[in-house]
Amino acid sequence: MIYFPEEVVEHIFSFLPSHSDRNTVSLVCKVWYEIERLSRRAVFVGNCYAVRPERVVRRFPKLCVLTVKGKPHFADFNLVPPDWGGYAAPWIEAAARGCVGLEELRMKRMVVSDESLELLARSFPRFKALVLISCEGFSTEGLADIASHCKLLRELDLQENDVEDRGPRWLSCFPDSCTSLVSLNFACIKGEVDSASLERLVAKSPNLRSLRLNRAVTVDTLSKILMRTPNLEDLGTGNFTNEFQTESYLRLTNALEKCKMLKSLSGFWDASPVCVPFIYPLCHQLTGLNLSYTPTLDYSDLTRMISRCVKLQRLWVLDCISDKGLQVVASSCKDLQELRVFPSDFYVAGYSAVTEEGLVAISSGCPKLSSLLYFCHQMTNDALITIAKNCPNFIRFRLCILEPRKPDAMTNQPLDEGFGAIVRECKGLRRLSISGLLTDKVFMYIGKYAKHLEMLSIAFAGDSDDGMMHVLNGCKNLRKLEIRDSPFGDGALLGNVAKYETMRSLWMSSCNVTLKGCEILASKMPMLNVEIMNELDGSSEMEENPGDFSKVEKLYVYRTTAGTRGDAPNFVKIL
Amino acid sequence: MAECKGGGDRSPSSSMDSSTHPVLSTTSSGCRPARRDLSIDLHLGLSLSSASSLLAPDSKSIPSKPRNQVPLDWPPIKPFLKRTLTASARRRRTLFVKVYMEGVPIGRKLDLLLLDGYDSLLAKLCHMFKTSITYADVMEYHRRVPHEKAAYVLTYEDQDGDWMMVGDVPWEYVSSLPDKREETEDCKNG
Repeated sequence: MIYFPEEVVEHIFSFLPSHSDRNTVSLVCKVWYEIERLSRRAVFVGNCYAVRPERVVRRFPKLCVLTVKGKPHFADFNLVPPDWGGYAAPWIEAAARGCVGLEELRMKRMVVSDESLELLARSFPRFKALVLISCEGFSTEGLADIASHCKLLRELDLQENDVEDRGPRWLSCFPDSCTSLVSLNFACIKGEVDSASLERLVAKSPNLRSLRLNRAVTVDTLSKILMRTPNLEDLGTGNFTNEFQTESYLRLTNALEKCKMLKSLSGFWDASPVCVPFIYPLCHQLTGLNLSYTPTLDYSDLTRMISRCVKLQRLWVLDCISDKGLQVVASSCKDLQELRVFPSDFYVAGYSAVTEEGLVAISSGCPKLSSLLYFCHQMTNDALITIAKNCPNFIRFRLCILEPRKPDAMTNQPLDEGFGAIVRECKGLRRLSISGLLTDKVFMYIGKYAKHLEMLSIAFAGDSDDGMMHVLNGCKNLRKLEIRDSPFGDGALLGNVAKYETMRSLWMSSCNVTLKGCEILASKMPMLNVEIMNELDGSSEMEENPGDFSKVEKLYVYRTTAGTRGDAPNFVKIL
Repeated sequence: MAECKGGGDRSPSSSMDSSTHPVLSTTSSGCRPARRDLSIDLHLGLSLSSASSLLAPDSKSIPSKPRNQVPLDWPPIKPFLKRTLTASARRRRTLFVKVYMEGVPIGRKLDLLLLDGYDSLLAKLCHMFKTSITYADVMEYHRRVPHEKAAYVLTYEDQDGDWMMVGDVPWEYVSSLPDKREETEDCKNG
């Protein structure tokens, strides 16, 4: 065998694009493991409890980019009780001790404290980018520390976090020497913002390409800012209420016209229909548009705007757009790749202006569609079959019919055939969320055809353990399985236990698994953490009656090298 | 109407003057609270003769209750979006109307402000009730489509208690009115 010098091997590894490729080469032999780990710049930890932070830091001393995810996905919908866990502190502390070269930290669904943010700000002299998505536990004071001490900060991206508002001071904490800002997103900050500080910050950031403001920023401030950012590519506006002066809006149009690079728009808080025409000059160059925070625009306002957005690739909108509006989208936006339609009225018996017809229209007009999230009140098998034929390129297909277990609106049949068509035609499907009336048959189709499926979300579906077994046995690439309110029990849970070691996690809530079943799983698979949460009883009752056949309310199973976690609250029992 | 926001090219937001439109009377509105959900009864009727029996004198509304018991953590929308929409929803004007098909006690509901005209209303109702419905000139409809089976007719009862055919009053006035009761009748003999 010919031996390459280490530098050559390292150089070859630098061409490997993905984490999984680098993980694979590290398994080849000890030499390669060493070369790989010492040259690794970016690490992705999909479950913060799968591995101890110290171990990651020790293995990859040159770590520059760290991504960590905490709570399971269903935490987004209040299914995970507060104080469950997902703390950022151990990660930031470990990195502060072992990887002072850290430049970027990305965290999702984690609990981050102000103390951790302060530690972060002070520990990494080359720190450039902080991205927090759906996190909580910190306040604007923590942001003040980041702003004050991260002198090379390029990116501060706060997406949908729950941030405690302690005043607008943080925005004025950026020192005059900090001129490197490229991306700033504070749309989720609830409180007031000091306009003068914001204008000053923008004025000294010539590299700013992405700016997302919060609801407190007025049109006046926005137009002043935009005069300074002609190279802006992504803008999240402030509020657009109808309490405006026409002059402000004219200034806004002038400013927007200068932004020739602007491709993506979002925000539009409280936008009144009157302000929509002021955006028209931009529409032809937009590739991304998020109008999901604007229930005050109706279908005619929306379609007048969107029909001009001929280059649109990504559209997020409310169902006020209606089927008719979606037809306009279908005929205007031929490059559409991602569509999300959110419900403006979330009550089950409420009203939605979108039905299966809107989605069929989109599928026939936009063949490049690959990512979908669609909330509606009704669907039919025929529609899904048509959609599958029109758009075989789906990578993400998430359909949420608002009423649980609702059958085909025309035939009253289950929607098994419709979703079956989706998994059969869309051979590259990686993510799927199903809803409506569904029997075990749909899972048979999923297990048989969805060979690239990585994430599956199930709610109110299936008849028996067979359903879940089809998925566990058939979906070779399954990484995350989350199930709620479905009749799967111990038989399914224990039917293919080895499968869980090939997956990141399994979530089951309001299903039929029992404490006994979970205990058996835990004893058979020591490399898994089996967490059960019974909030109503508390943990004491479970300890008194071991082997009880009582149903487990919430179950979270994940593979781990870290053993039992020490930070679990009372209501979480790890078997 | 006081809570109408964003005038622009929309119909004027001032309250309707009943003298110019005698058939449709408004309740004296004054200043309405900002988040009224305006409810109206629309009845899809069956026979011409028993018009009086179609009147539902008690406009007791069937409460909008979910058909199944649905948990509070449904539908799967992120809290940030839910909060934003809940806050804004209070400001959005709605004009919910109950529509009953005669003989069927459980009705449907729809927001007239999400539609842009009588055609949309008709299309929506046809889709909802899976039947052909007509308005305006019934005779003309049957002349045009002679072999079509008897359609349901959309009518309404106004404040004066008169039964009127839907479609004569311009849509803009309809969508700014607070209180109108509608009903339909069947046109059996064309």
